[in-house]
Amino acid sequence: MKLAKIAPSLALLFSLFLIAQWGVAGAAEKSPQLVQVTIRSILAENKNDEFDAKLKGMEQQLKSLKYRSYRSLKDDSKSVAWQGTQSFDIPGGRTLTVAPQEFQGNRISLKVRLTEGDKPVVDTTVKIPNKGNFILGGPPHEGGTLILSISAAAQ
Amino acid sequence: MTNCENIRDSIGRWLDGELSAGESEPVRAHVAACPECGEARRQLESLQRALRGVLLTEATPIEFMPFWREVQRRINQKRAWYEDFLDWAREVFTAPRIAWGVPAVIVLLLAAVSLDSYFPGTRFGGSRNSFASVESIDAHGRSVALLRENESKTTVIWLYQNEEGENETGEDSSKSGPTF
Amino acid sequence: MQLSDRELVQRCQAGEMNAFQDLVSRYHQKVYMVILGLLRNREDALDVAQETFFRAYRKINSFQGDSSFYTWIYRIAVNMSIDAQRRQKRNPLDFRASMDGVLEAQHEVAKDPFGDVHDKELREKLVQAINGLTPEHKAVIVLRTIEGRSYKDIGEILGCSEGTVMSRLHYARKKLQGKLKAFL
Repeated sequence: MKLAKIAPSLALLFSLFLIAQWGVAGAAEKSPQLVQVTIRSILAENKNDEFDAKLKGMEQQLKSLKYRSYRSLKDDSKSVAWQGTQSFDIPGGRTLTVAPQEFQGNRISLKVRLTEGDKPVVDTTVKIPNKGNFILGGPPHEGGTLILSISAAAQ
Repeated sequence: MTNCENIRDSIGRWLDGELSAGESEPVRAHVAACPECGEARRQLESLQRALRGVLLTEATPIEFMPFWREVQRRINQKRAWYEDFLDWAREVFTAPRIAWGVPAVIVLLLAAVSLDSYFPGTRFGGSRNSFASVESIDAHGRSVALLRENESKTTVIWLYQNEEGENETGEDSSKSGPTF
Repeated sequence: MQLSDRELVQRCQAGEMNAFQDLVSRYHQKVYMVILGLLRNREDALDVAQETFFRAYRKINSFQGDSSFYTWIYRIAVNMSIDAQRRQKRNPLDFRASMDGVLEAQHEVAKDPFGDVHDKELREKLVQAINGLTPEHKAVIVLRTIEGRSYKDIGEILGCSEGTVMSRLHYARKKLQGKLKAFL
């Protein structure tokens, strides 16, 4: 009977605890220390109809590009400090440099540069949802087309 | 628990007439034979008498007609529009329900706003802009297209090859580029 | 021939005010006594008793006859008394003089026919002890003492099981006995 009396108070305390936890988690999210950047290099072709099983999670995104086949070439993942830079080797003698700028509204602002040797191919600043990605594609590679999936997750 | 303790716990019910004939007899017999339980019975009877003495002597009879006239007055009185609502609210939102309801609502609200963490894409209030947004782009003289694919919520930056054939691609050159 | 409660309720639901007046006349004293036992204040008890019948009149069409009319009206009375007690606790400045002070000043204290309550100190201690009970425990003590209701009836009035009534009564009596050990 005593438990029945104090149970609502316990439930209130528990829910206040949950609020505190949520607040702490939210606060932690607001000031992440590092960004985990992942680059997936993919070869898109029209020679056959194969779809690399490694790319299963991206099937809907890639098939919207209307190529017949997709093959994973390379996966690379690195931690990058905010305002820092990190370079990734991309197939075909290319380099992708990523510089996370800021974290706001659960979105990560990334400065991205693709170079071929020393020549810049594209410079862009993109705001992506935390743990989201965008696609950079078009450069030719090995008879097909190079597609890069660039994703970032605040840590 | 000893037999005496069991009996003492039953004395109240026995005196209230709530025990069956089969349950009463052992209690009656024990109380008659055991001095301690007999004392417990005496004390409880004494308490009952004292309670009746306090509670019953205070209630002097009230006259019916004045009482009834006041009840009638309340029935006939026009009530403000919000009084019916307040009466309903008082009946529905009792203290125990509020005591449970408040934590329950808090937990539900937290679950709703945290849903996205467990089931990405199900953000409460509809999916807020899950497209990546391109703030600036410099393709260094190349043609570039910015595309959004709605089904997969994907932002695509597409670099087209230069017409001078700077990037030879072979037989796929005519098909380069996504067809949305 | 005297109409049953059920028949009076049906007439009342059909709009006969006289039928409701008959019901009030049957139960007003008992309801007032129970409320007085809970609130310990005559004016408040009168006010709550009148409000109880007013509420009963407004809700008379919702009375289905699942319980007896007296169970239903007592349930309203006890719930309103418990609410009043909770409001009293939150607003202690509204607390009025206890029954003893009022009654003694008006020389209304009847001669105690039961013999044991002959000591003013015991009476004061008992009133204090009753007031120290929670509204729910006070309710079972009052309904059992004043009305002599069975545990089943009390459970129906309070909306709880017989077992709950039994344990509340047991607990309340133990608590009162503890406070009045020297006097019992």
